[in-house]
Amino acid sequence: MTLLEVKAVAKHFGAVQVLNGVDLTIEAGTVTGLVGDNGAGKSTLMKTITGLYGTDGGEIRFDGKPMTGLNPGQRRALGIEMIYQDLALARQQDVAANIFLGREPVKWAFGILPGFVDKAKMDADARKMIDRLGARIPSIHRPVGMFSGGQQQTVAIARALTFNPKLVIMDEPTAALAVREVESVLKLIRQMRDEGIAVILISHRLNDVFEVTDRIVVLRQGRIEADLQTGKTQMREVVGYIVGAH
Amino acid sequence: MTAIDTAGRGDAWRRLQFFFDSKVHVRLESLIVLALLCVAMTVLSPYFLSVSNFLNILLATSTIGVLAIGATLILSSAGLDLSLGSVLGLSGVAGAYLSVELEWPWFMAIIGALGSGALAGYINGQLITRTRIPAFIVTLGMLGIARGVALIIAPNGGAIYGLPDIVVYLGQGRPFGVPTPVVILVLTALIAHYVLAYSRFGMHTLAMGDNEGAARATGIPVERLRRELYAISGLLAGLAGLIFMARVNAGDPTAGYTYELTAITATIIGGTSLFGGRGSILGALVGALIMGVLQNGLNLLAVQSYYQQIAIGAVLIIAVYIDQLQSERERKS
Amino acid sequence: MTKLKTVLLASVLIAFGSAAAAADKPIYGVLMKTLANPFWGAMEQGVKAGAKAAGVEYYLQAVESDQAAEPQLNTCNTMLEKKPAVMITAAINSTILLPCLKRANEMKIPVVDLDNNLDPKVTKDAGVNIAFHIGSNNETAGAQGADYVAKKVGKDAKGPVLVIEGLSGNITGQRRAKGFAEELKKVAPGLEVVASLPGDWDRGKAANITNDILTKYPDLKVIFAANDGMALGAVETVFAANKGKQVTIVGVDGNSDAVKSIKAGRLTASVAQLPYLVGKQAVENVKKVVAGGKVDEVIYVPTLVLTKDVLEKGTEPMLKYVK
Ligand SMILES: Nc1ncnc2c1ncn2[C@@H]1O[C@H](COP(=O)(O)OP(=O)(O)OP(=O)(O)O)[C@@H](O)[C@H]1O
Ligand SMILES: [Mg+2]
Repeated sequence: MTLLEVKAVAKHFGAVQVLNGVDLTIEAGTVTGLVGDNGAGKSTLMKTITGLYGTDGGEIRFDGKPMTGLNPGQRRALGIEMIYQDLALARQQDVAANIFLGREPVKWAFGILPGFVDKAKMDADARKMIDRLGARIPSIHRPVGMFSGGQQQTVAIARALTFNPKLVIMDEPTAALAVREVESVLKLIRQMRDEGIAVILISHRLNDVFEVTDRIVVLRQGRIEADLQTGKTQMREVVGYIVGAH
Repeated sequence: MTAIDTAGRGDAWRRLQFFFDSKVHVRLESLIVLALLCVAMTVLSPYFLSVSNFLNILLATSTIGVLAIGATLILSSAGLDLSLGSVLGLSGVAGAYLSVELEWPWFMAIIGALGSGALAGYINGQLITRTRIPAFIVTLGMLGIARGVALIIAPNGGAIYGLPDIVVYLGQGRPFGVPTPVVILVLTALIAHYVLAYSRFGMHTLAMGDNEGAARATGIPVERLRRELYAISGLLAGLAGLIFMARVNAGDPTAGYTYELTAITATIIGGTSLFGGRGSILGALVGALIMGVLQNGLNLLAVQSYYQQIAIGAVLIIAVYIDQLQSERERKS
Repeated sequence: MTKLKTVLLASVLIAFGSAAAAADKPIYGVLMKTLANPFWGAMEQGVKAGAKAAGVEYYLQAVESDQAAEPQLNTCNTMLEKKPAVMITAAINSTILLPCLKRANEMKIPVVDLDNNLDPKVTKDAGVNIAFHIGSNNETAGAQGADYVAKKVGKDAKGPVLVIEGLSGNITGQRRAKGFAEELKKVAPGLEVVASLPGDWDRGKAANITNDILTKYPDLKVIFAANDGMALGAVETVFAANKGKQVTIVGVDGNSDAVKSIKAGRLTASVAQLPYLVGKQAVENVKKVVAGGKVDEVIYVPTLVLTKDVLEKGTEPMLKYVK
């Protein structure tokens, strides 16, 4: 079942044309690796999908619905989550606040005042999510800025998974992680696929990409250079497409 | 200061700090500074320790306290509002103009003061979010504009004297022995505290101040939030203007001159970050009280003006230094 | 802005008009700080009346605010191009106009220091010759406040006195406070200044100070504030504490809101400055100088104590100069 459809999407920043008519379809329950050189436009493409950037041309459909005009919050509500490379966490807020950012459960304070955050529920759910990820975090009441890079990444992943997403985009989720943590992220990705979630994994670590994806898409200078079945290609071929040797 | 320098002190202390930070939402350090100051003043002046003097201090803190609430909300979001003091002056003049010069009914003094404050804040927010001019510049511009408009409205640049009795009651009345401005301050602070610490609005404000990109990416409408914050800040400046006007029974176009700096100072002393992401309304109130107690003590001791300036400057630096000690530790741990 | 433009336009018109109408009449140049303030407005009226009485023409210029020092120097230089018979200047600070005034000296144009903004010592050092300095004496104004207090509460009265100073370091406020304190010691030694604190020209701050001092001295007898705004802040606090009958409160300036408060029986008195009279006497005296006469180097224009009595009777001859 086609979950996401990107058609002829273009995007420029000032004089720089970053995306030149990108076409891409993503099926539910699959893991797609998105690779390409630094500056190829991977993060930019993903941000047009999450609604952080508008597009100059083309169309994006999710679950058959056009995404044009929807803001990031509305797209999240439809099931698009992304773990950003550069826009990670609010460092001075605690774990629960970060996981529930923008989606805090509310209750009536003193039974009369609306819009108050149900902190007890947030804390409980946050703890459950962290436990489910099998992560070790000193205390969920600490500002996340005090955590290690890997622990912070866990919090970002927890945020993406808490609201039953249909599509999870991971932009360099393993870059800051130790071997053991990388393993658990890869395990998590497989687990998501088994639950029917579509995953897009952006990574420069091709070993990880080969290990966990069903399909590898190469982006080069804002164009899709290649679209390969992971089982039917090899590292050398992918690298060739990345550097433009084909 | 050795009593407070606890680097290497045991876990119990740290747990206490954490309790105050996260449950009381006031830094333990600020409370200690306030307590030490009170002890010092009690020793130095026999007139300091009394209920009526305490009410004096609260009354003297009321305008700055209300402004500091606005400053806390804005600084928490990594913004800046330099127009607070001028908008205070404008609101008082606007309220007095409507009720005294135009002889409209008394409640127009209140509506005029609050409305003109909110309007100034609304304009700040619109300009900041629509033109992308930095808040520093926009609110600095509003600092000049609001003061200028106040001077134009006031006849010959003088004050508008003699407000309706009901309005004066808001500044000079004492329901159950407590000055009305103190009641207004406490109620406003409680509401603002719950909003900042426990509402979605507050959490989004802190997240935006912490990492605007992350906040936007999670779907928080940061521009709208920013506009709302500046409008609220203006409204609070209007409320402070109303209190000031009622206390002195006049709309004074020079009122609130440089108050924004005092309010921001109180906010910083209370543990709110100048760079956003961390803010405490109750802390700002403690900060304002530290300055109020100091000023009250200096007056009771009849300290001369130059020495007052030195004392105020010194306490400011010490108070923020003590707060810094804690952040330093956090970074290390 | 439009106000400013009107003023500039008007002065230009006056200048042209008068030059054309009365080429033989001497023309006096008058340079003020600003006109966006009742004090300077009243002074301008005085200049006008003085010029009329003396049969001279004048043209008047001002800058946009009393902080615009450099623009004032530029304006001063431009005015000299018209070769006025005299220059009457209210300098924004004690040094900014000196180059222009020196040039006026060289052109043999007598210079008058309006409102005592120049320091005679500084002008002498700079080699600038001032025909005379004229304005009200802030120390005397303070002393007059003290004299009035002694008369009001009795010279044998005893009790605590609070002085609220102006902005810390501001010379005008300092002189008023000093004049008051020194005179009070002489005329009513039983009254003791228990605190002299900076009110920063801020009525809110003055209200706070009054509250604090009332805590320590519930029997407070007198408050003297270095301007009316602060005095009125003190008045509101005193009345809110139900001590309106007990405390005598005196301010300085004679502002219209102070007059209202005095008439309402709240503020006890205000030592009014008479800018109208300053302007008028400046023109009258400079006419003498031009005619070759001698005047005092420093001329102090009297200040007037406004009380409910004085205002209600309305017989005080100087009252007509309160604008
Ligand atoms: N907000 C922006 N404003 C201007 N230029 C931008 C912006 N974001 C990205 N770019 C430019 O767009 C191009 C693509 O950037 P993008 O971040 O999408 O690359 P990437 O494929 O994610 O690279 P990397 O592997 O290094 O993360 C780069 O040339 C970058 O400089
Ligand atoms: Mg990238």
